[in-house]
Amino acid sequence: MVQYNFKKMTVVPNGKDFIDIILSRTQRQTPTVVHKGYAISSLRSFYMRKVKYTQQNFHEKLSTIIDEFPRLDDIHPFYGDLLHVLYNKDHYKLALGQINTARNLIGKISKDYVKLLKYGDSLYRCKCLKVAALGRMCTVIKRIGPSLAYLEQIRQHMARLPSIDPNTRTVLICGYPNVGKSSFINKITRADVDVQPYAFTTKSLFVGHTDYKYLRYQVIDTPGILDRPFEDRNIIEMCSITALAHLRAAVLFFLDISGSCGYSIAQQAALFHSIKSLFMNKPLIIVCNKTDLQPLEGISEEDKKLVTEMKAEAMKTVIGQGGEASNDEGVLLTMSTLTEEGVIAVKNAACERLLNQRVELKMKSKKINDCLNLFHVAMPKPRDNKERPPCIPQVVLESKAKQAAEKEKRNTEKDLENDNGGAGVYSASLKKNYILANDEWKEDVMPEILDGHNVYDFVDPDILHRLAELEREEGYQQADAGDDNFEMEGLELTPEEQNTLAEIRKKKSLLIQQHRIKKSTAESRPTVPRKFDKDREFTTKRMGRQLSKLGLDPTKAINRARSRSVSTRGRKRERSLDRDDTDGGDAMDVDTPNKKQRMLSRSRSRSRSRPPTEVVPGEGFKDSAQKAKALQKANKSNKMRNKNARRGEADRVIPTLKPKHLFSGKRSIGKTQRR
Amino acid sequence: MPQGDYIELHRKRYGYRPDHFERKRKKEARLVHKRSETAQKALGIKGKMFAKKRYAEKALMKKTLAMHEESSTRRKVDDDVHEGAVPAYLLDRDNTTRAKILNNTIKQKRKEKAGKWEVPLPKVRPVAEDERCLKFLDLENARVTKQWKRMVTKATFVGPGFTRKPPKYERFIRPSGLRFTKAHVTHPELKCTFNLEIIGVKKNPNGQMYTSLGVLTKGTIIEVNVSELGLVTPAGKVVWGKYAQVTNNPENDGCVNAVLLV
Repeated sequence: MVQYNFKKMTVVPNGKDFIDIILSRTQRQTPTVVHKGYAISSLRSFYMRKVKYTQQNFHEKLSTIIDEFPRLDDIHPFYGDLLHVLYNKDHYKLALGQINTARNLIGKISKDYVKLLKYGDSLYRCKCLKVAALGRMCTVIKRIGPSLAYLEQIRQHMARLPSIDPNTRTVLICGYPNVGKSSFINKITRADVDVQPYAFTTKSLFVGHTDYKYLRYQVIDTPGILDRPFEDRNIIEMCSITALAHLRAAVLFFLDISGSCGYSIAQQAALFHSIKSLFMNKPLIIVCNKTDLQPLEGISEEDKKLVTEMKAEAMKTVIGQGGEASNDEGVLLTMSTLTEEGVIAVKNAACERLLNQRVELKMKSKKINDCLNLFHVAMPKPRDNKERPPCIPQVVLESKAKQAAEKEKRNTEKDLENDNGGAGVYSASLKKNYILANDEWKEDVMPEILDGHNVYDFVDPDILHRLAELEREEGYQQADAGDDNFEMEGLELTPEEQNTLAEIRKKKSLLIQQHRIKKSTAESRPTVPRKFDKDREFTTKRMGRQLSKLGLDPTKAINRARSRSVSTRGRKRERSLDRDDTDGGDAMDVDTPNKKQRMLSRSRSRSRSRPPTEVVPGEGFKDSAQKAKALQKANKSNKMRNKNARRGEADRVIPTLKPKHLFSGKRSIGKTQRR
Repeated sequence: MPQGDYIELHRKRYGYRPDHFERKRKKEARLVHKRSETAQKALGIKGKMFAKKRYAEKALMKKTLAMHEESSTRRKVDDDVHEGAVPAYLLDRDNTTRAKILNNTIKQKRKEKAGKWEVPLPKVRPVAEDERCLKFLDLENARVTKQWKRMVTKATFVGPGFTRKPPKYERFIRPSGLRFTKAHVTHPELKCTFNLEIIGVKKNPNGQMYTSLGVLTKGTIIEVNVSELGLVTPAGKVVWGKYAQVTNNPENDGCVNAVLLV
């Protein structure tokens, strides 16, 4: 199936642009540096490449033009003729022919010059030959400049042609100018064609789409046709004629019975008879428009006769398609696009007749047999009068009947809702369809479970009672405290006592100060880390010895030191609160369970992962110890070197703000930033 | 999907944008600046192309301006004035005319253009045989510089009836890739060019050997077949052979251009 879409053709550059495009591409895509001293073979190939590359590009570009423009003989005759009418076939073919010739010429030039380049014996000569070759190619293109311009014009015009599919269901509107064709298409489609009260408002074909019986119909609006010999018709009229001649469509012949278009019914009838050969084998409908100005009954006798003649002519098309002679509905219709009276009737009649005709044609065609045998239902001839009904077991019948009965009986939620006050009032019970051992349980309240415990277990029923008790107790205590305060206020200190108090406070603050100093100095005292104690001098043993030498009992000090050692206490991190599992359940109850306990209450969802410190042997290592060592070494080698405060790339850098090479000397082309 | 002349239709229905003409005017006014910016910024081949285009435009503009100006410049009238036709008090004045210079320049130009074809090439530079024309088959090898066989590296004409000598006696090889049989011959009076067949090489100014080899260099006199032109002698006979002089370096241009000697 050929798609007639002329919108995707590539742009045809004009002669000058064409040359610029190709030459600049050659310049960009082929090497540019060459020197006298190169071997002659490389010089030759350098220039040959340029010539060949240019020719290839010309060839490619010209070929796309030739391929993309439709060949008038190959496309649908409707488009072939339309393009001929619009652009003149001869001119079109000539232009494409010139392009083809240019392509061949360029090929020949390139061949010749490549041959000559083989005998080039210096850079100068090779270069001269290249220049001559490119120049001649460009001259060829320059000469076909007018053809290129013409083709570009055509391309632009073709892109604006309506995309008419010549093979689909089509309704074609034709008639004299100004009889209401465009108003009709505007009524039944969204084509938005310009409507003006003068002749030849529509200058080309327009297409719109409409629906009938869930099928899409393409409606084509044609420019008006005048009744004159074929040779005298202008391009605008010829568009209509082309469409009428080549499209298998339902034709609506528009008749202005009021004569307000400027042409009498007689003239319109004459046109009808002169072009009736174009209506052969097409469903034809004569549409009498503008009935708001002049109803069909009101026209004169002669005109009536003309109309009936035309109707008889149109009837022939019905008969020709196998319709009955008496069935004259949908041949002559009246409407008014102004009042929209009868517009839809006309559309429906046209679509209906077109559909019937297309179905009939399909039935007649040869291909239909391939489809029809798919639809065929075999009906064997009865050989005797015996009844042979299908055999269905009794059980199946019964169950079927039962199912049917059930289906009827079943009350849906929707029904319930409607019975009990409708949407918004009725709330459906989600529990009633629970499958439980006892139906009474359905409405029971669901226990809420937290950490494997029922929440209800935590509820103390007489908590309020206890609260009241507590508050009462508090009340008593407050009352006692109030009494004490009262007594304290009444106390008077003698000056002696006041002095002692001041002394005491002074002493206290002094003690605190001393303690703080001591503590701070103790903290900042240099301690010798274990790793620097290479000779293992600072041991508890030594301390014990020294202490006992001084005549003191060292056991307490030793015990204390041991208790503080890392090995017994564990690391700081390990000493944290949640690892400390010594305090049991006696501290507080469930309100603040520590992490560990919480963990326990949750079900175990996954097995415990391997701690990061543990090393699994494998990968060629003897045991885990060896592997651990290797890993440690690897980590060490990955570790960043301590650069001892030297400059690194992560440091903030102020670059040279005014580099000398950019700010000194003569300024040639370029920028201050980049030269 | 728009169809037909949708832009025109829209303009017909809704008119131009309110600021359409203002924008257009501004765009035009800015165009000069924009062009100058591109002219300043364009680098490389694009810059060259742009400059060339601009130069051509400017030159054309200057020419047209000058042409219009010349009509207003005054020139002396050459022809004599009848005695007594001018009153005595005007005698010391020169009579002037305007359009004169224009005519003169046009004449001058025509002369120049015609002159381009009038004279056969006056100067012919002699070329050493070893240096330019002939190439030894194997230059790499010093041994072969004195060799018998030599290849002609210039465009040559070889007659249609040419048969090779036996390879042993064949001293000069004229490669078939460099053989030419046709020449673009310009008729100086008709000022049009024809693609004519070469009949033979009459004279190569570089030497007798070149002539006998049929080497085509600049200034070579060749004989061409002019039967297509339909020239007739005063006696009424049809001329079919005529001399022409080569005006280009065929080995560099890949074609033979010549001017007909009339």
